Amino acid sequence: SGELYCSLPNPRNVRFESVNMKNVLHWSAPEGTGDGVLYKVKYAVYGVGKWIRKPECRNINRTWCDLSSETSDYEEQYYASVKAFLNGTCSDWMETTRFNPLTDTKIDPPMVSVSSTDKSISIILTAPEKWKRSPEEESVSLLQVYPGLQYNVSVLNKKTKKRWFFSISNNTLVVPWLEPGTVYCVSAQIHVTTPLLDSGFSKEHCIATLKDK
Amino acid sequence: KIFHLGACRVSMSMTEIRAGFSAIKANIQSRDPLRSLSILSHPHSLHKVKVGDRCCITHHLFTFYVDKVFKHCRTEDSFVNRKISSIANSFLSARRKLGQCREQNNCVCGEESTEKFKQILANYEGLNVTSAAMKSLGELDILLDWMEKAR
Repeated sequence: SGELYCSLPNPRNVRFESVNMKNVLHWSAPEGTGDGVLYKVKYAVYGVGKWIRKPECRNINRTWCDLSSETSDYEEQYYASVKAFLNGTCSDWMETTRFNPLTDTKIDPPMVSVSSTDKSISIILTAPEKWKRSPEEESVSLLQVYPGLQYNVSVLNKKTKKRWFFSISNNTLVVPWLEPGTVYCVSAQIHVTTPLLDSGFSKEHCIATLKDK
Repeated sequence: KIFHLGACRVSMSMTEIRAGFSAIKANIQSRDPLRSLSILSHPHSLHKVKVGDRCCITHHLFTFYVDKVFKHCRTEDSFVNRKISSIANSFLSARRKLGQCREQNNCVCGEESTEKFKQILANYEGLNVTSAAMKSLGELDILLDWMEKAR
């Protein structure tokens, strides 16, 4: 294919980094090479015989390439590969391991909104959306992708430092019998049992219960 | 987890099976250099199988993994071997349960699922036994994803 003799060290640590199925190929520059290294990228669907070049990631000097669009069908699995070029020589193609968007993605924490009465707080949780090509494209919640998705919710009484944990499947939770005029802080995490996927906990959302009437 | 397969229901410890597979996935898949061939998902994806055929093809696939895959996947790594046998035991009990239900409920094998399973066997027989078994084991997540997606 007219390739040059390839004596350049290889790109290193070629892997997919995926969050909410935004699937980005990352790698590290070949050892000992300074500036000026260019790269090209190709990818393949597992089980299908041909590599497909990614034109937008041809002759690039950055060390990442967004392949979300090419790997958006999470019923398939993928490989990707990177080759480096410098001063007329090149490296070998360096491949990822097999990438399964469904099990190899990370999930962001849920969005948390809270409201309160004098003796209770109401919590509404929203799972993140799957990556999509454009804002106009229809949104797909990760709840649709992972039917077994659950929420772990932590509620902290800021005064007594007492903390409760709840594990719920639906996205609303009302915590009753609280103290009036007290600040409670809520944080939530997404938990998918199988395939096993846990988000981090969201940042805390604090709210005060209303004072006694 | 309980799977509803037509008239049949089968419970499987998916969390354990998934955890076992995740622990050995990189090791097993690295032994399969053939990127351009899939046993389970090409040319036709499992996801195209009709709901009515799920019971039959699931039983076929359990039998396939028990009889043709797990026993041919011994490695030099005892950790990997232990994980494989744990997964195999889960499949063995699931196949037994599904087999009993299948006899009672005559879970129908439609033309499509019969054709699909023939394709899987053809893909398998196109390789030598060890390579075919290792590739099939490396594709276990394809089977688990399909089972869970259409629970």
